[in-house]
Amino acid sequence: MASRIEILNDGGYRSDGRRQYELRDITIDLSQQGQADGSAIITHGLTQVLVSVFGPREAKQRRETIHDRANINVEVAVAAFSTGERRKRSRGDKRILEIAAIIKSTFEPVIQTSIYPRSQIDIFVQVLQQDGGLLQACINGTTLALANAGIPLLDFVCAVTGGVHSTSPMLDLTTLEENDIPHATVAMMPRTGKVTLVTMETRLHVDRFEEIFRLAIDAGKVIHREMKIAVKGRTEALVTAMGSASKVASGGDNDELMQDY
Amino acid sequence: MRPPSPSLPEREFLLQALHQSLRLDGRAMLEARTPTLTFGPEMGWVDCQMGKTRVLAHTTATMVKPQPERPLEGTITIHSEISPMASSAGEYDSGRPSDEEITITRMLDKVVRRSDAVDKESLCILAGERVWALRLTIHCLADSGNLLDCACLAAIVSLRHFRRPDVEVIGSDVTVHAPTERAPVPLSIHHTPFCNTFAFFPPSPSSIAAQDSQDPLSSPLQIPILDPSHLEQRLCTGTLSIALNAQREICVLQKLGGVPLGAEEVLLAVEVAVRRAKEMNEWVDGRLREDWEGRKGSVEVR
Amino acid sequence: MSSSSSYIVLPGETVPAQHVNLKLGPGLLQVISEISESSIISTRAGTVNHSANKSKWWVESNSKRYIPAAQESVVGIVAGKSGLDGWRVDIGSAHFAILDGLAFEGASKRNKANLKVNSLVYARVSLAHKDMEPELECFDAQTRKSAGFGELKGGFLVRCSLQMCRQLLDPKHFLLPFLGSRFPLEVAVGTNGRVWISSKEVKQTIAMTRCIEAADPAGGAMDERALKSFFNTLDL
Repeated sequence: MASRIEILNDGGYRSDGRRQYELRDITIDLSQQGQADGSAIITHGLTQVLVSVFGPREAKQRRETIHDRANINVEVAVAAFSTGERRKRSRGDKRILEIAAIIKSTFEPVIQTSIYPRSQIDIFVQVLQQDGGLLQACINGTTLALANAGIPLLDFVCAVTGGVHSTSPMLDLTTLEENDIPHATVAMMPRTGKVTLVTMETRLHVDRFEEIFRLAIDAGKVIHREMKIAVKGRTEALVTAMGSASKVASGGDNDELMQDY
Repeated sequence: MRPPSPSLPEREFLLQALHQSLRLDGRAMLEARTPTLTFGPEMGWVDCQMGKTRVLAHTTATMVKPQPERPLEGTITIHSEISPMASSAGEYDSGRPSDEEITITRMLDKVVRRSDAVDKESLCILAGERVWALRLTIHCLADSGNLLDCACLAAIVSLRHFRRPDVEVIGSDVTVHAPTERAPVPLSIHHTPFCNTFAFFPPSPSSIAAQDSQDPLSSPLQIPILDPSHLEQRLCTGTLSIALNAQREICVLQKLGGVPLGAEEVLLAVEVAVRRAKEMNEWVDGRLREDWEGRKGSVEVR
Repeated sequence: MSSSSSYIVLPGETVPAQHVNLKLGPGLLQVISEISESSIISTRAGTVNHSANKSKWWVESNSKRYIPAAQESVVGIVAGKSGLDGWRVDIGSAHFAILDGLAFEGASKRNKANLKVNSLVYARVSLAHKDMEPELECFDAQTRKSAGFGELKGGFLVRCSLQMCRQLLDPKHFLLPFLGSRFPLEVAVGTNGRVWISSKEVKQTIAMTRCIEAADPAGGAMDERALKSFFNTLDL
C-alpha cells in the first residue's frame, strides 16, 4: 500500500525518528489512584492507559460467582478525547468489548484465581491517549495494576506489537504505522518465554509472520525489565516509607531469577 | 442461568482418551470434520454444516451511492446473528452478547472485510455515483462445537458463490441486465481465507513428570486438536484460530489468552493450518464448479 | 408394557380409549364437552399404545426435554449445595432437583454422603409435582439400601434422546446385550436422556458412546443389522 509518509527511510529511520527495533519511551506510574486496590498508568510513547484493580471482593451479582475460583470482570472505556478526532465510543462497541474479552482470557490463567473462590476481581481500563499499540498498553498496564494490588500472579504478562514494512520487521508501532503495515500483538510470559496471546488482523505471509513473532517475544523481555524496575522501585519506596529500608536493599539483590534479564 | 458445566467423569474421560490420542467421535487429533455445503436456489445462499454445527449465509447486492470519502469503492456489511436456538444450554441469550459471540462477529469482520478478500474497487459502477453494496447475512443455527470455523467457511463460500447482475455503463447511463438477459457475473475475489481453530489440552501427568527431571524451567507441550467438538471446546484450556489462504498468507491469527504456548507450538499449528487451507481451497473450488455446472441450463442464456 | 396395536396420532385427534377403570398416560387428555359426554384426545404427536386389557393408554413420542415423573431413575449432575446438607442437581428438567444429604444408604446426621460439584449421581425421583422442585433419593424407599443408586465414578456420560433411554431400559432391545457380548461393561440408564457408561478400555467406552448415538432415533437411527456392521468398522 502506498502512503504519503515514508514508514522507513533509506537511512533506516522511522517517521518518528526511531530505529526499526527501537521501542518508544515507557513511563510507569504506580502511585495510588483514588479508591482502587491497585492501579497503574503506563505510557508507551503517546499511548497512555490507566488501569485500576479492585478486589478480590464479593461479586455484585451473586449469579456471577464461580464456586471454585474468582471471577474476573474487565471493563474497558475509551476516552472521547483519546484520538486525534474527538469521537465518543459507546460501551457496546464490539471493538472495545473484544479488548475486554481478550484481557479477561489473557489473565485468567495467570492470576491464581483458585485461592479466592466465590469472589470477583474487577479490572477497569481507561484509555487516555491512543497512538498505536492499544492492546499492548492495556495488557502491560493490567499486569502492573494487578501486581500493585498484591494479587498473586504466576508471572508477568508483557505485550509488544510488531509489524513488517515490506521485508523489514519493526517493533512498537504508532497509529500511523499500524494503518499502513501488517502487524501483530504478542503477549509473552518472561519466565517460560511462552506466549499467552497472539493476534494478527492483517494479511501477511507465513514466513514473515514467524520473523516478527519471534522478534516480539524477545522484545517482551525488554518490556519486562522496565516493568520489573518500576514494581521494585514502588515496593522499595513503600518499604522506605514504613522505615525498614535496609532490609529490602539486601533482600532485593538476592533475587537471582529476577535479575536474569 | 449459567449453562451447566460438563461433569467430572466427562472431563476425566475426555482427557484420558486424548492422552491415548483418541477422540470421542473417532477422529484423529488433527483431523477436522468434513463440511457439507448445500447451495440454495439463489446465488449466494449457502448452508454449511460441520457435524451438527450449522450456519446459513446469504449474500445480496444493492446499488447505492458510495461514501463520499471513498467514491471508487463498494461496501460490504456483515450481519451476523447467533440465534438463541443454536444451543440448548442457553449460551446465546438475545440480550447482552457473550464473549464468544463477540469473538465470532469480530473474526468474521476480520476474515472477510479486513483481509480484503473481496475487491472493493471492482464493485464500483460509476465513480462517485453508483456502487454495489454487498450485504452478507449469517445465521448460526446450531452450535455443536467450532461455530467460528463453520461461520467463516459459510461466509466466504457465500461470497464466492454469489453472482451480481451484469451492468452496462454508457456515458452516465447505467443499465442493469436481468439474469435472463445476460449471465450474472461473479464477484472479483482476491483470495479465499479459511479459518482453522485448534483447542489445547494439558499433557498427561506421566509426560509432565518425565519432562520435569530434564529441565525444570520448560513445561511439556500442550496437546493440540483441530476442529474441537462442543464438549472439547468447553473443556479445553485455550484455543488458537488461524485464518489463511492457499497462498500461505495468514489473514487472521488469534490466540486470545488461555494456556500459554511456546513459540514452536504456535508455529506447528500454523504449519497444519497451511496444509489444511490448501486442501480446503481445492475442495471448495470443486464444489462451486460442480454447483455451477448443474445450474448452467437454468441461469445462463448466452 | 405390552401393546397390542399402535398407530400414529397428531395433537387434537380423538383416541378411542374406553374402559371402566381408564388410566391415561402422557400425551392424552380427557375433554368434557356438553354435546358428547367425554372424549379422549391426544396432545402430542406419536404412537398410541395401550395395555393388554385396554385400561392404560399412553402416547409414545420422542423428545429431548425431560419432565420429571416420580419413581423414574435419572442421571444428574451436581450443580451446587442447597441448604445445609443438600445438593442441587441438574437432571435436564426445567428446574434443578433437590437431593437431600441424608437420602443415601447408611447416611446419618453424623455420616453424610460427600459429593463434589460437577460429579454424577444416579438417583430416583421421589417427588415430582408441578408446583415444587423435584426431589431425588439415592436409595430404595422400603429397604433403604442403595439398590444401585449413588455417585457414579469414572466412566463417561452420553446424552441421547428420551426415547433412546426408554429403549435401552427395555430388556428386549438389542443394543446393550449386543455390546455386553463383546466386552464387559457397566451402564446406568437414566430416563432423562442421559446414560452413564463405563468399561475397562477407553476405546470400548468410545465405541459404546458412538453406538448409542448411532442407534438413537433422533440421531443415526440405525437398526440392529446396520449397527452391527457399524460396530465392526470401529477400531477396537
